[in-house]
Amino acid sequence: MKSATPQLAASPSGKVCEQGDLAVLDDPIEQRRFTRFSVGPGGQSIADSSLRISGMHCSACAGIIESAVLGVDGVLECSVSSAGERARIRWNPARTSAARLVTAIRRAGYDAVPDAALESREARRQEHRTALWRLFVAAFCAMQVMMMATPSYVTHGDELAMDIRQLLNWGSWLLTLPVLIFSSGPFFRAAWHSLRQQRIGMDVPVALGLGVTFIASSGATFDPQGIFGQEVYFDSLTMFVSFLLAGRWLEVRARHKVAQVLEAALDGMPETSERMLPGGGSETVSVQRLQAGDLVRVALGQAFPGDGELVEGETRADEALLTGESRPVAKPIGSAVVAGSVNLGAPVLVRLQRVGADTRLQAIVAMMRDAMSQRPASARAADRWAGPFLWTVLLLAAGAAAVWSIIDPSRAVWVAVAVLIVTCPCALSLAAPAALLSASSALARRGVLLQRLDALEAWGRVQRVYLDKTGTVTDDRLQWQGMARVATGPQPLSDERLLDMASALAQWSTHPLSRALAARRNEADAPFPWFDVHEIPGQGVQARDSAGLEWRLGSASFLDASNQKPDEAAVWFGPSAMAVVRFDFTECLRPDAVSAVNGLRQRGMEVVLLSGDRLERAEAMGKVLPVDRIIGAATPESKLAEIESAQQLGWRVAMVGDGINDAPVLARADVSFAMGQGALVARAQADGIVVSNRLTDLVMMHDLARKTMTIVRQNLAWAAVYNLTCIPLALVGWLPPWAAGLGMASSSVLVILNAMRLSRGVHIPGMMNAR
Amino acid sequence: MEILYLLIPMSAVLVLIILGVFGWAVHKGQYDDIEREGERILEADSGAVDTDQSQRIRSIKQSAR
Repeated sequence: MKSATPQLAASPSGKVCEQGDLAVLDDPIEQRRFTRFSVGPGGQSIADSSLRISGMHCSACAGIIESAVLGVDGVLECSVSSAGERARIRWNPARTSAARLVTAIRRAGYDAVPDAALESREARRQEHRTALWRLFVAAFCAMQVMMMATPSYVTHGDELAMDIRQLLNWGSWLLTLPVLIFSSGPFFRAAWHSLRQQRIGMDVPVALGLGVTFIASSGATFDPQGIFGQEVYFDSLTMFVSFLLAGRWLEVRARHKVAQVLEAALDGMPETSERMLPGGGSETVSVQRLQAGDLVRVALGQAFPGDGELVEGETRADEALLTGESRPVAKPIGSAVVAGSVNLGAPVLVRLQRVGADTRLQAIVAMMRDAMSQRPASARAADRWAGPFLWTVLLLAAGAAAVWSIIDPSRAVWVAVAVLIVTCPCALSLAAPAALLSASSALARRGVLLQRLDALEAWGRVQRVYLDKTGTVTDDRLQWQGMARVATGPQPLSDERLLDMASALAQWSTHPLSRALAARRNEADAPFPWFDVHEIPGQGVQARDSAGLEWRLGSASFLDASNQKPDEAAVWFGPSAMAVVRFDFTECLRPDAVSAVNGLRQRGMEVVLLSGDRLERAEAMGKVLPVDRIIGAATPESKLAEIESAQQLGWRVAMVGDGINDAPVLARADVSFAMGQGALVARAQADGIVVSNRLTDLVMMHDLARKTMTIVRQNLAWAAVYNLTCIPLALVGWLPPWAAGLGMASSSVLVILNAMRLSRGVHIPGMMNAR
Repeated sequence: MEILYLLIPMSAVLVLIILGVFGWAVHKGQYDDIEREGERILEADSGAVDTDQSQRIRSIKQSAR
């Protein structure tokens, strides 16, 4: 098996890491993120680290990694989970170091990066174990209780001796205790919590039903001649709890799956920076060690570690995620750079002015936290019904008791209790969660992950959708827009001829602009013969034609052309370093953007393009995209203000975005979705993540949301009908335990089967389903 | 039917024991990664299952010598 994994020890960025890079793992600030320290039996310190492994193919790899790590001196324990691709390693800091552990894993042919989400994963694991444990206790006890209840159902009259019946009731009571005390603990706690906040959620009637059923059945068990009569309902009670817990367990699993996808992006090697030392030379340090005033070198493709001023070199910076600006921004010496933007032009030296919490990036994140706390509360469908339901049930029970106290005072309490038992809201409390869970699993298969199940309900009721431009309705590719003559050139060649030549030459290069130009060619086009093709990185491509004349395709400086608009994406083409034509490029609309916007508008939503990019570019986009309104040049603050004012006017708004600048709005809107390739902070904030990056999925999701709400209403109606038919029986004082149990089981199963219809998803005819 | 006086309390106690065993297994993490345990038998260097027991006994005897 070992030979099957010849992996290069490569870092995520693709470059082979040297030992020096790993030293940052031993920096105590960085180590805290993935390691916990405890004191071992001998009084020495023991470290417990969590690493994310990449390059695993099958579960056999786990064994190889475990033995590789255990071979390092000082490692006490190592366990690798192949499903989670995680390694837990307990090691002695006095004898080894985190860098050595990672080196050992790399030698075995895999790669490991610190697992930043250690704490939350541990919390999730605990939550999952507890949910499973509660479910098992409830379901297993329910089985046993049902077995003990069966004799009383299948016998008539006095066939079952009184003492045996008593014994079976005692057994059922004993087995119901763990279900009530341990398994249904969360329901009682939640009910108590919401009562203290003077709010009635679904947990209040659930807890009331459970409590009353248990007290009445206990009374019947220990005092068969008492006010509660002889009937026990332990089987209905335990079955009810196991139905509810099965629903909760599925919900926990769905939620954890989404959290795992999100957290995968958090892992990675610690970000390092090259700090220049005063006496010359440089050192590699963790970005968390940087201070204002430090001079750092930022390599090509790296993110700027803090806000600062460019002191050496000229470059371009990609600020798309921070501002929504679609084009790289030119940065001459002395200009300000923003933390989190990416250096695209050339390696530069930056004097840092603000780091950490003072940066623009962190200011946006703080604004997002603020917006989150002011978000309008959305009530769950089932919780809206809980209050009226509870009062109706209580009134009915009180009324029944009052009437029966006149007819037959000895049965008054029993009838009131029977009303409360029969209205135990089993189907009602499953109605909404079952439908939402089923719909979200259909969405997950389509590539849309919901972080909040309620988001689906909110999305079905949205009136206005705000779409971000860069990265949301456009993707990161560029497309050919047009060409312009800048000189006549030595030979009289037509535009078509020049375009043919240039696009043939562009096929030799992998630069994004070259690829966009080469995409203009049809397969039927005759290949243009180029000789001696050279690509000069950062400049362009040069080649000779069949006559031996040298042509160049590339940047303005490569062809000695004057560049009036340095921010626009363009390449120049011409013979002998003389520019003849300029090709312009523009950002590329997602292929399904127009049909998605049309689909949203057909469904009665107003669509607004809310862009941080320049107004003219946003308006140019409006010519192809049939949106209702366009707002350009919006800062994160003005985006937030726009949403707030719309909400104050009573609109229910949704936001679809991808950038850091969208994060505050994503947190504030009634419902929000982030694109799958968006910034981490945006994805963490959104209610749902469109991992598929298909905008038409938003339309599909809207139809599914409508359908889900229909099914939720059907389920609620069914639960109401069930209660309405059973209440009269209880009111006249006739409630055999088998009827209560059968009614509860059949109504719950019906509700769940109805919800399962959603798991097939919806199909919209005429919509693009795949890209 | 008197035997029920013994069997029903016994079954109740048995259920409680089973619940305890399952709880211990869940909290030991036996249900955290179910796939791995199932495929462990296919791992190359796992010596857990050997069909030829005589060889193993021979090697134990040799090492004892």
